[in-house]
Parts: sequence; C-alpha cells; structure tokens
Amino acid sequence: MSTHILEVNELKTYYRTRLKEHVYAVDGVTFALEEGKTLGIAGESGCGKSTLALSLMGFYFPPLHFGGGSIIVGGRDIMKLGKEQLRSQVSGREISYIPQAAMNALNPTLRIIRFIEDIMKEHRPELTKKQVWDMAAERFETLNLSPRVLNAYPNELSGGMKQRTVIAISTILNPKVLIADEPTSALDVTSQKAVIKLLKSLLDKGFIRSLVFITHELPLLYHVTDDIMVMYAGEIVERGTAEQMIFDPIHPYTKKLMGSIIVPEEGMKGHKLAAIPGTPPNLKNVPEGCRFADRCKYAQEACRQGKIANKTLGDRTYRCIVEPETLREWYANEGE
Amino acid sequence: MNSSFRILIKSPKFMFGACTLLAMIGLVLIYPLFNRSDPLEMIALAYQPPDAKLLLGSDNFGRDLFLELIYGIRTSLQVGLIAGVFATAIGLVIGLTSGYIGGMIDNLLTAVTNIFIVIPSFVILILISVSIDSRSSFVTAVIIGVTSWPWTARAVRAQTSSLRNRDHVNIAKISGYSTPRIIVSEILPYIASYVVMAFVLQTASGILSEASISMLGLGPYNTISLGIIMNWALVFEAPVAGAWWAFIPAAISIAMITFSLYMMNTGMDEIFNPKIRS
Amino acid sequence: MSVYGKYIVKKFFWYFLTLVIAVGLNFLLPRMIEGNPVSMIVSEMTQGMTDSDTIKRVYETFLIEFGIDKPLGEQFLIYVKNLLSGNLGTSFGLYPKPVTEILASAVPWTIGLQLPAILVGWLLGNILGAVAAYRKGVFDKVIFPVALFVNSIPFFTLAIIMLYVFALSLNWFPLHGGYDYQLVPSLSWEFFASVIRHHTLPFLSIVLVTIGGQAIGMREMSIYELNSDYVLYSKLLGIRDSRIARYVFRNAMLPQITGLALSIGTMVGGSLICEIVFSYPGIGTWMFTAIRQLDYPLISGCTLLIAIAVLLANFTIDIIYGWIDPRIKAAQMEDQ
Repeated sequence: MSTHILEVNELKTYYRTRLKEHVYAVDGVTFALEEGKTLGIAGESGCGKSTLALSLMGFYFPPLHFGGGSIIVGGRDIMKLGKEQLRSQVSGREISYIPQAAMNALNPTLRIIRFIEDIMKEHRPELTKKQVWDMAAERFETLNLSPRVLNAYPNELSGGMKQRTVIAISTILNPKVLIADEPTSALDVTSQKAVIKLLKSLLDKGFIRSLVFITHELPLLYHVTDDIMVMYAGEIVERGTAEQMIFDPIHPYTKKLMGSIIVPEEGMKGHKLAAIPGTPPNLKNVPEGCRFADRCKYAQEACRQGKIANKTLGDRTYRCIVEPETLREWYANEGE
Repeated sequence: MNSSFRILIKSPKFMFGACTLLAMIGLVLIYPLFNRSDPLEMIALAYQPPDAKLLLGSDNFGRDLFLELIYGIRTSLQVGLIAGVFATAIGLVIGLTSGYIGGMIDNLLTAVTNIFIVIPSFVILILISVSIDSRSSFVTAVIIGVTSWPWTARAVRAQTSSLRNRDHVNIAKISGYSTPRIIVSEILPYIASYVVMAFVLQTASGILSEASISMLGLGPYNTISLGIIMNWALVFEAPVAGAWWAFIPAAISIAMITFSLYMMNTGMDEIFNPKIRS
Repeated sequence: MSVYGKYIVKKFFWYFLTLVIAVGLNFLLPRMIEGNPVSMIVSEMTQGMTDSDTIKRVYETFLIEFGIDKPLGEQFLIYVKNLLSGNLGTSFGLYPKPVTEILASAVPWTIGLQLPAILVGWLLGNILGAVAAYRKGVFDKVIFPVALFVNSIPFFTLAIIMLYVFALSLNWFPLHGGYDYQLVPSLSWEFFASVIRHHTLPFLSIVLVTIGGQAIGMREMSIYELNSDYVLYSKLLGIRDSRIARYVFRNAMLPQITGLALSIGTMVGGSLICEIVFSYPGIGTWMFTAIRQLDYPLISGCTLLIAIAVLLANFTIDIIYGWIDPRIKAAQMEDQ
C-alpha cells in the first residue's frame, strides 16, 4: 500500500432533487494526501467543495447520495464499511470535521463536557467520567482553553472560544485526517490567522496527522497548506504546491481566482483585484467540454468538445487543453 | 407575487385545502339559488331522520337541516373571514408600529401584546358578548377579531424588527423616503407571505371561536351558524334523541373548513419556510 | 439576589400587572351594559315573581353589591374590596347562594378533568410529533394529516361525537354528569368507580384534540432541530442516532413548554365547553347555565377564575422553563 494517509479515487456524489434529477456536486474527484501534510481546497461558493468535505467523511444522508469511487483512509476503503462500522470506527476517530459555522455546531442545551462524554461513550467506552474529564481538561489546556469551559453551555462562550472549543472537540481522538470546512469564513483577518495557526499547531503536536482545509479564498491558503487544489463545478481543475498555485497558476480559473481576492497576503501586492465575470454553470446541466469555458476569455472551439482530460506537469495536475507555456505567455501579455 | 402563486399551485397540500374550501363556498353560494325556502321554516316533524326529501333530516322544530347547514356554513365563513381581516389588520398595525419604530413605543406595545396573549381571549370574548345586547353576526365577528390579534402582532413585530436594519431599508431611509412609504415598499413585501398565512390561521380560529361562543349561547342573533346549530342540538338534547344528523354534519363541516384552511397554511409554510420541507 | 431570583421577580411583576388588567376588564366590561344593569337584571330575573317584597329585597342586594349609584371609581374599590375578602357576589340564578360557594363546588371537577387531560395530551402529542419528524416516510405521511385534522375539530365537536358514539350508541359510558346521581358523594369504591366512568369520555376527548395540536407543533420544531448544525456535527463525530434523537427531542421540547404556556388559555376554554357537552359539574357547565340565565355575577366569577387560573398556570410554566433551559439562564446573565 501507499504511504498516503488519505486516498480518494474517482469520487462521485450527487444530490437527488425533488424532481428525481441527479445533480453531481462532486464529479470524479481523485487526489491523495501524505501523512503530515496539509491540503487546501479552494473554489467559489457552489463549486461543490463543502459537499466534497461531507463526502470525504463517508457520510451520506438524503438528499446527498454516494455515486461511486473510493475513499481510502490508512489503507482501508471506508466506503466499503457498513453504516454502523463507519460510525463507530471512522467518524470522529479516523476522520474528523470542523464545520463551517462553529457558532451553531454545539448543542445549545448540553454542557461541553457532557458532549465530550457522549463522544467518548461511542469511541472509548472504557474510560470513566473522571478520565474523560482529565483527558479533556489536559487537551483544552494545551490549546490555551481554560478547563472551566468544559462546564459551560455553548452560549456562555464567545464566538472565538466556541471556535476553539469545536476544534478541540473535533481533534480529541487524534484523527488521521481533519477536514476543516471554511472554519474561518465568518471571522476577521486576525482571527482567521489565529485559527490557522491553531490548526497547524495541531499537526505539529501530532494531534492530527493530516489536514484538509477548505476555503473560498485561495490566497488564504498561502503559508497554510503544502498543496492546493482548485475546484470548479464539481471537478478538480488544478493541483500543485501552494507556491506554484499562487505565483504560477496554469489553469485560467486558478488565475482568475487569484485575482478575485479581497485581502491580499503579503508578497502578493502586485495582484489586481477583479471579480470573475459570469456565474458557475448550473450543476444540473453541465456543459460539454471544459466547464469553465463560458467564463474563460481564452476559450476556443476545442474547449467545448468532449471531455477535458487531466494533464500532469511534473508533480502538478491541471485540466486545460492549452499548453502551460502558451497560457503563461497569454497571462504575461495581459500587461499586469 | 405571481411566481409564488405559481409555486403554490404545485403544492398538493395547498391545492387540497384551497379546492375543498372553494367547493364549500361554491355550494353555499349556489344552493340557495335553487332552493329558495327560508331555512327557519318548520316543514316537518321534530328530528325526522334523513330521507330523499330532507337530505339531513329535520331539527327539533322540524326545520330542514340541510338548508340550515348551508346557511350555517355561509355565516361561519363570513364570521371567520371578517374576524380574520380584523385580527390581521390590528395585529399588522400594532406589529409594524412596534417593530419599525422601536424604543419606548415598542416596549409599550410589546407589553400590551404579551398581556393580551396571556389573558385568555375567550374570557374577554365572553365578557364582551354578555355585555352587548344585540349581536349581529358582523358584531360577533368584530368582537372575535378584536380579541385575537396578539399572535399576529407578535409575529409581525419580530419580522419587522429584524428587517428594520437591513441595507435596503437603510438606503430608503437615507434617500429620504417617508416612514409610511418605507413600510409599504421596503417592509411589507418581505412579510407579505407571513401576513397571508396569519390571515388564513386567524380565519380558521375565528370560525372555531364563533362555534365556541355560539355553543355557549352567546352567538349572533337572528342567523344560523354552525355553532348555533350545535347549540340547538345540545339545548334540545338531540344526542339523547339519537338525532345524529342534527349535530354530526355541522361538526364535520366546521372540521372540514378549518382543516382545509390549515392545509393551505401548511402548504404555504412549506413553500415560504423551506427549512420545514426537509 | 441570584439571577434566577431576579428572573422570578421580573416575571411576577409582569403577571401581577396582567392580573390587574384582567380584573379591571372583568369589572368594566359587564358594566358597559346600557342603562342601569341592576334594574335590567332584576326585572329580567324577577319576571313571573309577584311578591313585591322579594323583588325589592333582590334589587337591594344587587344595588349594594354593584354600588351602581356610586361613581365608577368607587364601584371599583367596592369590587376589589369584595374580591379580596373572597366575595364574588350573589348568584342571580341560584339566589341567594354566593358565587364563591358555587365555584368552590365546581373547581375540583374542572381541575380533576383538565389538568391530567391537558398534561397527558401534551406529552403524547409531543412524543408523536417527534416520532413523525424523526421517522419521516409513511409514518409521518399518516400521522401528520390525521393530527392536523384532529386539530381542526373544535374540542366540543369531538366531545359530541364521542358522546353520541360511545355513550349513546354503544352504551359503554354514562351520558352526563360527574357521577351517578343515585350515589351520595363519599369516599367509597363505588363512588370512585362512578367518577372514573363519567370522567373517561370528557377526558379522552380533551386528550385527543390536545394531542393533535401539540403533535403538529412538535413535528415542526423537531424538523427544525434535525436540520440544525449541531445534529450534523454530532453525526460526523460518530454519535449514534438514538443519542442524537435524544438531543433533538430535548431541544424541540423546550419551546413546546412555552408553547404549552401560551396555548393553555385556548385549551382551557375548549375544555370548558367540552364539559358542557357532558354536563360535567365543572366551571364550564356552570358558565353555560349562568349565560342562559344571564346570571352576571356568576358569569364574571367564572371568567375571573379562569383568567386567574390561566395566569397562574403560565407563571408556573415560566418558572419551570427558566429553571431547565440553559439558554434562558445565559440570557439572564447577559441582562445583568
């Protein structure tokens, strides 16, 4: 087997609408992640990245359905497990999750410690209440949270405290993979940085063994993740290292996504701010050929035909029929 | 508005409710055109069972119960609708004022609303009905409307105060629009669906209130309503006489009307609050 | 003073104010009858009486009780003074029986009927509503319309139908009253059994209608809770469905408690009319009699008693609610 801690092959998931149509929000996604590494996934809202996050958890409930492919965590295909096995052996334990809205992620009428106890009852039933308390208190202290938080109800905590509490709870079982679904989208820039720092420290301390960080702000991923994947209309359009993706994007969409930032990171000051014209295609009815073609100013006749294959360039992959060299020339000629 | 109506037509619950209601309204409007007899005319013996001539038999005074039922449904619907209009209008005005203006007026109106939510409305209904000597069905309807506004007021207030600080309202304010104009063009459209739903519910509860108060013997004079038919059946001991036709059809009619109104409300709720739809 | 203590004091103040207004309405509304109510009442009630002395005596009794010859303010003082000394006036219909005496005889019947019926109906309705929301599918498709239909039947309508079917046609239960009239109320088994037999039908009709209304509310609340973020988060951390169902039930139940407080007025009203159908010897039946005889003191005695009872029930529920919902406690902290 590989040294990959997470391996996803041709994953497809779809929503079944009321009219019984199948809408593929994740359409043949393939990627792998090595132990100790972080992967960022970026894309506009509606591109399927949040669905991908849920799908990676192996968790499907109507209207979201599994459409095929495999998700291999630590050498085991979790899509081959039964529902109960998945719940008791994988969820929260092998793969864990930080939700988009930490504000509402906690049951408002349950003290934090009671929730942690409930998690432990599922995964570590041998622990006594005292042991759970000690373990939780220790972990909270490591993450700079007072153990007094354990006795609080969620709405007694501030927004930032809730966020850190959720992070602490999600990682309390030292999962192999942590999926963070836009955990910073509701925060200001300073808090965003703090959360990212905290997540990285989890990796350094060995509380998690890999991190998948999902965001709609591509530049935020600079300095945060080792690799970046860009997602568009249910497909991965490009993957590379953070350096490559930010300073040398190949796919026109990645290029545009870099230009659409509002808060430029240091070292990217030269970028122009520009919204991407047009809207992503309706996933119910994706166009033939390149799904970005309608919004791409370099689109040619050939872009709208057949299926656009993934190409590799060294350790990078991208999904565009134009040669990288040509694209780079075009970008340079634009007179930035 | 047009597009929401088109969506509503697709909701089976809404359509079921609306069709049932329209069928009943149609029946009570059309039947009296064919049968022009006076529903209060005594044409048979007391408590005659249904037969081909008297579709629902006769009551204690030998009156045609089917005809009485038709007129009863008509009155009950009228009372419910008028009560619904009054309750919704009062609730809307108080809720909008309280939610939009805020401050002291909001505190005061909210306190009044909360007080009248807690004091059982039927107690006030009884006290007013006892005190008013000549009650037409219109007066009864108004009394019901006047005692049942607090729910609507509370819901409208909550909606309005959450809308008050939205951008589009602020822009209208900065643009120097007058308060009534802002309320009409920037607030009302956003709460319109709630108001329509509140009206439907208020109509249903108006019909139930009329039936309750008439059962107590405090219903409108000189008219027939579903509650009054039930009251007669009870006062003249129709159940003991085994005359089920004197109260069961009226009972089922009330249930049918309110059920169809509730169904319409549920259908609308599912469309306007998609969370419930799951 | 503790936070909770302050909450109670605040609630008490509001309910006291509400009570004052209820008493005021109870005083004022019947006095809106045009002309001199006493002479009108007395002339109506003494129709057929020939003994002018009796008529005069009756007239004087009510003149003093109403204080009709005095200004309205003074009338109100007399009213409040009488009220505080437990004097609600003399009944017209059962002259010269004091209203308090009649009410005292009726209260145990009403409480014995309504309190258990409303509580049982509320509890069953909530369980049914939660199950409908949770199970979905056929169960929900059947339960929901049935509950909605039952809820649209007025209390007394169901009562009349049950009376006709079970008491009259099937002869399973007695037709009317609170106990067999041949029996003298005593602490015997025979009397007790008779009370239970008379209790069953009115009890069931109140329970059924209450179930309908509560089930609808609870179903909606549960669906709302089931869609909330904490449910998803708990699922993704591997918490088993039965435990999540418990979270949802608890959280959906809490608003249902305030729901009970707010709808208790309507329920009591409906149940009172239900009593009339069964000639149950409670407040409702007395009110029915009083209205037919235009027995104003008894009518206003009944309405006052009902208003006070409903306020008291609301106050109790508010106190219990503040004690069990941590969100309320937190809100109180913020108030400080």
